[in-house]
Amino acid sequence: MSDLHVVGKSYPQIDAREKVTGTTEFVSDLVLPNMLFGRTLRSPYAHARIVHLDTSRASKMPGVKAVVTYSDTPGIKFGPRSNDWTIMACEKVLFEGDEVAAVAAVDEDTAEEALDLIRVEYEEIPAVFDPMDAMQPEAPLVHDDKPGNIAFEYKVDVGDVDEALKNSYFVYEDSFYTNQVYQAYLEPMGAVAAVDLCGRLTLWTGTQIPNMMRMTYARALGLPPEQIRVVVPDYGGAFGAKMENNVHLVAAVLAQKARRPVKLMNTRRDDFLAGNPRVPMYVDIKLGVTADGILTGKDVRVVGGNGARTIYAHAIVATACYRVDSLYRFRHVRAMGHTVYTNTVPTSCFRGFGNAQMTFVLESAMDAIAEHLSIDPAELRLKNGIGSGEVSIHGWRIGASGLAECVERATKAADWAGKRSRREPMRGIGLACCNHVAGNRGFVQEFDGGAGMVRIGRDGRITVYHGESDMGQGQKTTFAQIVAERLGVPLELIVVAQVDTDVSPFGLGSFATRGTIMGGNGVLAAAANAFRQLAEVAGEMLEAAPEDIVSENGMFFVMGAPDQGIPFMDVIEAATRKQGGAPLVATGHYIPPTELPNPVTKYGNVAPAYPFACQIAEVEVDPDTGHVTVVNFVAAHDVGRAINPMATEGQIQGGVAQGLGWTLMENMVVNEGRVANASFLDYEIPGPLDVPDVVPILVEPVEPEGPYGAKGIGEPALNPSMAAITNAIYNATGVRINRLPVNHQMLVREIKKRDHS
Amino acid sequence: MKVPLSFVLNGEEHFLMIRPNRTLLDVIRVDLGLTGTKLGCGQGKCGACTVLLNGEPVNACLILAPQVNGKEVLTVEGLGGDALHPLQKAFVEKGAVQCGYCTPGMLMTAKGFLNKHPHPTKEDIRAAIAGNLCRCTGYKNIAEAIHSAAYESGNSPADSERDDV
Amino acid sequence: MRIRPFDYQRAESLHHALQFLDAHGAETKLLAGGTDLVLALKAKTVAPTRVLDINELKDLDYIRPDESALRIGPLVRHARMASDPFIRQKFPALAQATGLIGSWQLRNVGTLGGNLCNASPSADSAPALLAANALAVIADVNGEEEVLFRDFFTGPRASLLKPHQILKEIVVPLCDTRSHSMYLKLMRKKAVDLALVGVCFQAELDVTGSRIARVGIGLGGVAPTPIRVPNAEALFSGTGYREALEALPEAAEAAVTSANPISDLRATAEYRRDIVRVFVERSGRQVLGNLFSEVSES
Repeated sequence: MSDLHVVGKSYPQIDAREKVTGTTEFVSDLVLPNMLFGRTLRSPYAHARIVHLDTSRASKMPGVKAVVTYSDTPGIKFGPRSNDWTIMACEKVLFEGDEVAAVAAVDEDTAEEALDLIRVEYEEIPAVFDPMDAMQPEAPLVHDDKPGNIAFEYKVDVGDVDEALKNSYFVYEDSFYTNQVYQAYLEPMGAVAAVDLCGRLTLWTGTQIPNMMRMTYARALGLPPEQIRVVVPDYGGAFGAKMENNVHLVAAVLAQKARRPVKLMNTRRDDFLAGNPRVPMYVDIKLGVTADGILTGKDVRVVGGNGARTIYAHAIVATACYRVDSLYRFRHVRAMGHTVYTNTVPTSCFRGFGNAQMTFVLESAMDAIAEHLSIDPAELRLKNGIGSGEVSIHGWRIGASGLAECVERATKAADWAGKRSRREPMRGIGLACCNHVAGNRGFVQEFDGGAGMVRIGRDGRITVYHGESDMGQGQKTTFAQIVAERLGVPLELIVVAQVDTDVSPFGLGSFATRGTIMGGNGVLAAAANAFRQLAEVAGEMLEAAPEDIVSENGMFFVMGAPDQGIPFMDVIEAATRKQGGAPLVATGHYIPPTELPNPVTKYGNVAPAYPFACQIAEVEVDPDTGHVTVVNFVAAHDVGRAINPMATEGQIQGGVAQGLGWTLMENMVVNEGRVANASFLDYEIPGPLDVPDVVPILVEPVEPEGPYGAKGIGEPALNPSMAAITNAIYNATGVRINRLPVNHQMLVREIKKRDHS
Repeated sequence: MKVPLSFVLNGEEHFLMIRPNRTLLDVIRVDLGLTGTKLGCGQGKCGACTVLLNGEPVNACLILAPQVNGKEVLTVEGLGGDALHPLQKAFVEKGAVQCGYCTPGMLMTAKGFLNKHPHPTKEDIRAAIAGNLCRCTGYKNIAEAIHSAAYESGNSPADSERDDV
Repeated sequence: MRIRPFDYQRAESLHHALQFLDAHGAETKLLAGGTDLVLALKAKTVAPTRVLDINELKDLDYIRPDESALRIGPLVRHARMASDPFIRQKFPALAQATGLIGSWQLRNVGTLGGNLCNASPSADSAPALLAANALAVIADVNGEEEVLFRDFFTGPRASLLKPHQILKEIVVPLCDTRSHSMYLKLMRKKAVDLALVGVCFQAELDVTGSRIARVGIGLGGVAPTPIRVPNAEALFSGTGYREALEALPEAAEAAVTSANPISDLRATAEYRRDIVRVFVERSGRQVLGNLFSEVSES
């Protein structure tokens, strides 16, 4: 489709001008009249009974307008997928950072001082911190009604794994651990909450799921959903973290009590303690293969840390258990996943959603197998990689698969063959692939899909409404490009409305790499309907049938007669005039041809499209310090079609940087349930000198289900990065990395061992 | 106890009485309402609060307000004029902006850097912005934007007066 | 993260500052760059009722070589230290070290005096000053005294400075023969981190230019204070190039023995010790190679 005018072009983000001039209003920039500043009092203990809680001195402090605790809430047990949350602690605190009380005051200094005036007496009770320990019979229980601290169990068993492994030429068996890492978006979580005279709550917050969040919060606050409005300003990053969190609810309760708007932003320390970091996982894997490198069977056990409350860890462990099964042509798989309560911060979504963890494991195992069989690791992927039009073991219908092309182009760009043959000491190259979903039918029971609305006023201003979320990845611009393309008008005419649940479609949100395909298809459908309406009017004006009208670059004309067109402005003016001034409004939606997976077999096509990728890292290792430098990095991504290549490449570069950070430096250090490094001073994320220039390669097989063929890029950008780097470390040093992040001291020791052997 | 604070912000003189325990970031964002400069960590590690103080990039969250008495501060709001500053233009065009939260700080460090080093390499640039964390972009497009601003803008003396800060 | 109120005063002269400290030193914190102080105020690890701003004391901001020593005022910012041509030439390790403190933003504000008086065991500026046998000039209303930096640091975040005293000057002896130095810093990423381990190796040749007159080795981050390693240094006296190279492993071991690192969330004691060994050898090799590069081997 080389006749695209807007889609496929690297336009700057449509909101970049505001961002570079500092005029964008982020959540933390919002100021409302009469607004108060909130702060949260958090538990310093991992597990304790609240023996005494006295807020009276804080309430009396001048400038303090509200102090709240659990008793100011309806006392409802709730959760996005469970009922183990309360808004603020009731009788017990379950993790360090658990919300105990909060204040709203006239300024931030007063709010912080007031926290010191709240007297809490705790009685510490036995706690458990590691999911493996928590599963032991004598382990203290985080929730009395959850024996064994098991939050969730997941099983899948297809084919005959034992037989397949028995008949394998080689079975690789190993254990891995992926640690708990923090999303480290630059703007902490928080919200501005305001309640009107009728008790209707408005929350301004950076959220990936404005509508799903609203439904959860309605339950939590004992309100009908229509009494809650969520508005999503621009916000400073999320990467999965910004879903439901008590900070929003505490803001709401403060606003209710103070009867004034309240801005409650997490301090960075709050955010480390009570944001929702990645699910740490223990994974055991058995992976079988024939003598010529065809995968036979796979058996995995996953134990994931849930934290003290359930958000989405169970879904993440489930994903870890079975999503990779559709990367290769597996016929026999078995997985057992346990999501386990611990007295630590509730864990949740972070780019990759369990598939990141398991891709690290699987791609490390593949690397080991390739070595054992003396097969080129790239070749091993090509032999087993799923292809276009195939159906995976779990019934996933792969539309267009660019996996093979990703491998071919990445290996070529990275000089894979050349570098592997040139053995340089302490320098290595490694490869890893991934699959992912673009949308996940299994995540929300009710439906999956996207919707859009297009409003064109008499002045020609085209406003696009959607229900997903732009967390900085450029979704607004993607949607604008899609609509501009479909309407045949310049991009500059498009405005993307702020998501406001009072007005926007009920979108499920941006997660599972679904934004482009679901939201994009939704706005595309709306644009198509808007075009039909415009074509009717243009047809009248041009005395032609609406079906014969096309538009390009803002001109509407009869197909074949581009010189006798009429400008868009004329068409819309006529259209609105005909309707008594009413704007042209069109809605549209997209329901993907997907199925809820069978609850037992897990069979079912869950996504309309599946992105793939192949990444190759080159590293240099300092054998005396164990430090690893990533010197080159190539990332080839099957994105179906890049609506905006520059934005897509930006996502790839950012995803790789996060994968690099996870592999080489990021670790939440938790000692006996206390976070030792709850600050950027001691939680390191990659800086400009740590990340090489990532070479992105866009593979565009054009996905039939996607808007203009697009799939998605968000999470695949990171999934293979960790194994690409650790496989390169293995290539350089002979040391297999089984735990993230790389431990420098261990690496030095292991290298020395190999030197002497 | 409040102390007098007299300083120039984005070319405009300000006279305030402020509590000395407030940071420069507090004064800029809250007292003067310029929210372009961001709070990311409050500990001088992320660089989101970077402003130019007498032409040098500093973390506003670690500067006590009285320290800028008699000095000149430039924030992102003072970077362009009627048109975008070449750095702003380059950030927009080169895809150096995703969520945009680190952007003001990045721009100010970049401006301070290009004022001193008009002909940098990309490596020089990455070293200069090492105190500005970005979690979205992986830094590549940011370095390219700064590089292109250095070489495509001409950097002529005819640039706006504020460029001299 | 909010700072508690305090009484704020600006010092108009060194004399004024010393008098102020004499009267109120116990409840006062000095504000220079403020990068350490403001962090501490936000973390509530210090709670002064008074803050004395000494930034106006321009006569404490200088880099002044004379015939015998380089004299540096405590208010010199790290960025200036790192780019000063004299320091880069004569004390490259000191320029390297100050150039590695924090980020550029921090270096534009933080001062040498602040870094030293904060007295972190891993203060970046310390190992180079120790290796160079530098002295601290401590002043109070009653006068001044000179103290070797070797004796200045007394414990983690503790120095000889009493509440009524100011670090007035840093004096770095100049060597009139060929000398070279290098600072290596272990961080958790490529830039903008504190030193998990900091090693400075400084060597000076004798008048003949073929033998070592003195070696100074300073270590940071591996003991309650930054330290020197006299046992290691002594191994190099009077050595020629080859001998000096051969002494490196033993010197590195001696440095490891003198070190007394802790295990914390950043690194284990064992790893820190290993890095001391590696860095002493690395920096030593580099410095010696540079020093003797124009001298034929003896």
